[in-house]
Amino acid sequence: MSEPAAKKEQYSVIGKSVPKVDAYDKATGRARYTGDLKVPNALVGKILRSPHAHARIISIDTSKAEQLPGVKAVITAKDVPSVMYGISPARYDENIFAVEKVLYVGDKVAAVAAVDEETAVKALNLIDVEYEVLPPVLDPFRAMDPDQPQLHEQYPRNISVEIHQNFGDVDKALADAYHVRTDTFSGTRAAHVPMEPHAALSKWEGGKLTITCSTQSPHYFQYHIARVFGLKMGDVRVLKSYVGGGFGGKLEPSGAEYVSAALAMKTGRPVKLVFDRWEVFVHHRGRHPQHITLTTGVTKEGKLLGCHARFIIDGGAYTSLGIASAYYAGAMLPLIYMFDHYRFDGFRVHTNLPSCGAQRGHGAPQPRFAFESQLDMIAKDLGMDSIDIRLVNARKPDTMTPNEFKVNSCAFTEAIQKARRISGWDEKKGKLASGKGIGIGCGGFISGNGYPIYRTRLPHAGAVIKVSEQGDIATLYTGAVDIGQGSDTVLAQMAAEAMGIDFEDIKLVTADTETTPHDFGAYASRQTLMSGWAVKEAGEEVRRQVLELAAEMLEANVEDMNVDRRVIYVKGSPEKSIPFERVANEFFITRGPLVGRGKYAPPKLGGSFKGAPVGTSPAYSFAAQISQVETDEETGQVMVTDVWDVHDCGQVINPTLLHAQVEGALFMGMGEAMYEAMVFDANGKPLNANLGDYRIPTALDVPQVVSDLVDSYEPAGPWGVKEVGEGATLPTMGSYANAIYDAIGIRIYDMPLTPEKVWRAIEQRKRQEREAAEKK
Amino acid sequence: MVTEAKPKTKRQIVTLTINGDEHVSLVKVNTTLLDLLREEFDYTGTKKGCELGDCGACTVLLDGEPVNSCLILAVEADGRSVTTIEGLEKNGKLDVVQEAFVNHGAIQCGYCSPGMILSSRALLNRNPSPTEREVRDAIAGNLCRCTGYVKIVEAVLAASAESKA
Amino acid sequence: MIVPEFDYLTPQTLNEACALLGEYGSRAKVLAGGSDLVVKMKNGLLKPDYIVSLKNLQDLKGIRYEAGTGVIIGARTTHNRVVENEILRERFPSVSAAAGTMAAYQVRNIGTIGGNLVNAVPSADMPPILIALSAKARIVGLSGERLVDLEEFFLGPGKTVLNQDEILAEIIIPDQATTGSSYIKFGLRRAGSLAVAGVASSVMMDGEMAEDVRIVLGAVAPTPLRAREAEAVLRGKKVSQELIEQAGKIAAAESKPITDIRGSAEYRRHLVDVLTRRTLKTAIEKGHV
Repeated sequence: MSEPAAKKEQYSVIGKSVPKVDAYDKATGRARYTGDLKVPNALVGKILRSPHAHARIISIDTSKAEQLPGVKAVITAKDVPSVMYGISPARYDENIFAVEKVLYVGDKVAAVAAVDEETAVKALNLIDVEYEVLPPVLDPFRAMDPDQPQLHEQYPRNISVEIHQNFGDVDKALADAYHVRTDTFSGTRAAHVPMEPHAALSKWEGGKLTITCSTQSPHYFQYHIARVFGLKMGDVRVLKSYVGGGFGGKLEPSGAEYVSAALAMKTGRPVKLVFDRWEVFVHHRGRHPQHITLTTGVTKEGKLLGCHARFIIDGGAYTSLGIASAYYAGAMLPLIYMFDHYRFDGFRVHTNLPSCGAQRGHGAPQPRFAFESQLDMIAKDLGMDSIDIRLVNARKPDTMTPNEFKVNSCAFTEAIQKARRISGWDEKKGKLASGKGIGIGCGGFISGNGYPIYRTRLPHAGAVIKVSEQGDIATLYTGAVDIGQGSDTVLAQMAAEAMGIDFEDIKLVTADTETTPHDFGAYASRQTLMSGWAVKEAGEEVRRQVLELAAEMLEANVEDMNVDRRVIYVKGSPEKSIPFERVANEFFITRGPLVGRGKYAPPKLGGSFKGAPVGTSPAYSFAAQISQVETDEETGQVMVTDVWDVHDCGQVINPTLLHAQVEGALFMGMGEAMYEAMVFDANGKPLNANLGDYRIPTALDVPQVVSDLVDSYEPAGPWGVKEVGEGATLPTMGSYANAIYDAIGIRIYDMPLTPEKVWRAIEQRKRQEREAAEKK
Repeated sequence: MVTEAKPKTKRQIVTLTINGDEHVSLVKVNTTLLDLLREEFDYTGTKKGCELGDCGACTVLLDGEPVNSCLILAVEADGRSVTTIEGLEKNGKLDVVQEAFVNHGAIQCGYCSPGMILSSRALLNRNPSPTEREVRDAIAGNLCRCTGYVKIVEAVLAASAESKA
Repeated sequence: MIVPEFDYLTPQTLNEACALLGEYGSRAKVLAGGSDLVVKMKNGLLKPDYIVSLKNLQDLKGIRYEAGTGVIIGARTTHNRVVENEILRERFPSVSAAAGTMAAYQVRNIGTIGGNLVNAVPSADMPPILIALSAKARIVGLSGERLVDLEEFFLGPGKTVLNQDEILAEIIIPDQATTGSSYIKFGLRRAGSLAVAGVASSVMMDGEMAEDVRIVLGAVAPTPLRAREAEAVLRGKKVSQELIEQAGKIAAAESKPITDIRGSAEYRRHLVDVLTRRTLKTAIEKGHV
């Protein structure tokens, strides 16, 4: 399925590591993020948040705060629309401010707008809220017990969603298996930790609301904000400035927008509201802690026959994007290895803790950790090499998963083999010095979601390219959202390639609901493929129009025309040529604006069972990751020294940006594997909601990383592209856990792999060995 | 003497040399250097990431030394010289560290970049030929969530090599 | 985040600073670097009415050597100066190394050694190694100055022997030519982390004999803790692997750790054992001049 090499070499702009279009502004401090924006007359907004995990609001007295000089507005639930919001359809369960009850430490209770931050903070301290503290639900295992307090009336037994999917005959497959194992694993409430906190700047002018915010999707923000405030979508404009990272956490409105908008409407002045770091943590919407039990059966040769996966998922206080997360948890498990019989039973439950949502890899990384760990255990049981068992089962191209995901390109086998080679696996596995070990983990991910988050017939992406009247530049208008990953650069490269002009000729207007065509935004690793298709189509429309006119001007047949790097020429007669800008200029003079338009909607994907859309995608990536570790057996400390990642991500538009995505995704997996977990006291109060105690790795903590690729061409992607931004997060936890096992023979079933946990496991093994020796 | 000091102590005039230019402002004494730079003088390249000295996004050079501007009261910096990210570019030419960050793909979301670049600049000032470990140590107080630090370390080492060439 | 309001006082002399502190008592806080004070104030844990800044007291900065006395470190010396100082690197490299384990580079340019001691945080990195090296604190107050063994300086978390009008001026590490020393911090990240446990050992060697031994434990008691029984195991004895292992176990038993988000008491006790052994070994090696 690979495109002929000759054609690849014809590309002039794509496939090259041009620097990011925004790198200069970011390197010089010119890049302004939402919190950096200055507008005349603006007020500062601040939110009063609940100190209790579960409490009834008896009364709120704002009178003292209102009297403080410099305070321009104090608002509570009674001052804002009572329409509930959320991001998961049919589960809109949040209010701008808590109405009767607060459901987690950090729930929004009131807000102020004041002339400066100091006055706003003082005003918050003057708001008197009387609470009746209720017992909190903190344990996801007990949350479903009938005697537990209820968080939401509409979710009996605190069940957020219950999922049962069954494909093939798992019971028979397990009964027929040569070997069956059941193991239980668990993950943590890891957080996105974008370096830029959530922020919004709202203006209310002439019945129109304009919100500049740190967002991954202006479209979804516009849709929900208009709905909550009862405005026409056209009267809500959402745009972004620079965005300092998202990782899933800025896909849904955070409250910063709703609250600043409400304050702007009340005061008639612009209101800027920026979360502090504690607020970013408690707002959360990050990783769901999952408890995963896998029962898996294999043949004597290690061929997977079937798997039954059971999940208890802690969703926290509200739904967020958690319904999709819960479906993803199970849906992605059968993607990378081939087996026909699969069952998945899951419960997402509510607790009085920060709400969980989508984070890089969505619901998939923790189940992938479980599966990759168990696969290694099965290999050991069978006396097989960890890589060999993966090669036996690796998915092949042009196959279908049991849950009806259609896989086109798939160079997974090649990725595993290459990782084996470049890591020196065969020389290292089981042969390293004491305390050192090597392990493998794999993963695969979607390249955009088959269906948007709410039901709509809108295409997934649109693009417009307008060539200037002089023909010297072209402006790409796209709703795609660059949150740092580099989509602006990649899409500009694609636009230039499609039109036959240079990268430097492209200007960008992006991610603004008013000036750019619709696009669902930066999530589900969708933009390179989906926004890319729309850009390609728009660019090709410009190219076609230009070539038609050029053919007339050169008195040639349009089929014989070509354009490359601004030169339009007759194929076979390069002396018959004309500059792009001359033709474009002539086009404007004689025919009007030179514009290209494009859109993309995926084909109908997936099965018809309940939940079938989750996990569907036009294309899937695959990756193999091998990690090498050194352990200190006395303290339990583990140091990962090297990681090799080999990705099948289809064709590459910008190699530097692509490897940067792999490195970043792997880094996030590493943090979740080794360091990161939000922790709470017995009352549900967060204990480490700061960047000192919630430890993301520093530059001293990360291993040497080798990011490599296998050749692959995806027919469903523009120029053969597919996913890269999230897939490399998936294998890391499993590969680390497996490397630790190789090093010291200790199997860790729950994340993160802290020194104390490893030490305890070592101590337990010592005790068991002593007891065994004593018995003899 | 003690009582004399009292009346004027809530506000104070602060003079700073920022990127070579003198700036004077009457500030509340509880204002941090970070807020003074951002809110009063509009040097918003200095970022606010955690406000507690944990992330390094607010790093500036104070008399040439990298510090977290969120931990320093503006009045404590009175009379001193501050370099922010806006001050590195000279006559329209990027500093070699900025150039390396751009060319090596060391910038993704860019929020940590100003602090990261200033920490790296200060490292090369005191140690023009750092080892990889020394680079990592110098930027360990600058958290980055996008890059895994891979291309950042590459960029700083490249800038070091470039400066020597 | 906002630093709560206060009155800002900038004494020109140490005596003036002491007078201000004496007058305002517990309503005043000393500002040296601010890396701890500003954080606590932003978090609302401290709301002093007065801040007495030491920024004009240049005499409190710097590191010097005085023959017969030892190395003298001004309380306002920042951690990075302690890390880089040639006198310390030559005479007490373990002190420089300990300072280098703290926080991260930028914070080490702000925080001061005096602040690290006066804050009396149980997990602080400087107290164990300084106590292991028999350091003394020179304290200045309205009624004059006094020298206090650093070992006696700490009374509890956030509590020291300083009276209201007193300021820590200098730390003095006495000469001890044949002493080797070592500090190991066990943190959960290689930068920007607090010690789960930290152990400092110093051993004065006389041939194969450990003439004197000091073992100081950090982050495992309300104050830095000398493991005196463990010291006694080695003191005056010919050093051996067996004795080192015994000392480690006894030091662990002497520690009084608590469980918190960074580690359990049980794990911390175990770390004391491991780190005591490791620091003793290094100290003994370095003590053989």
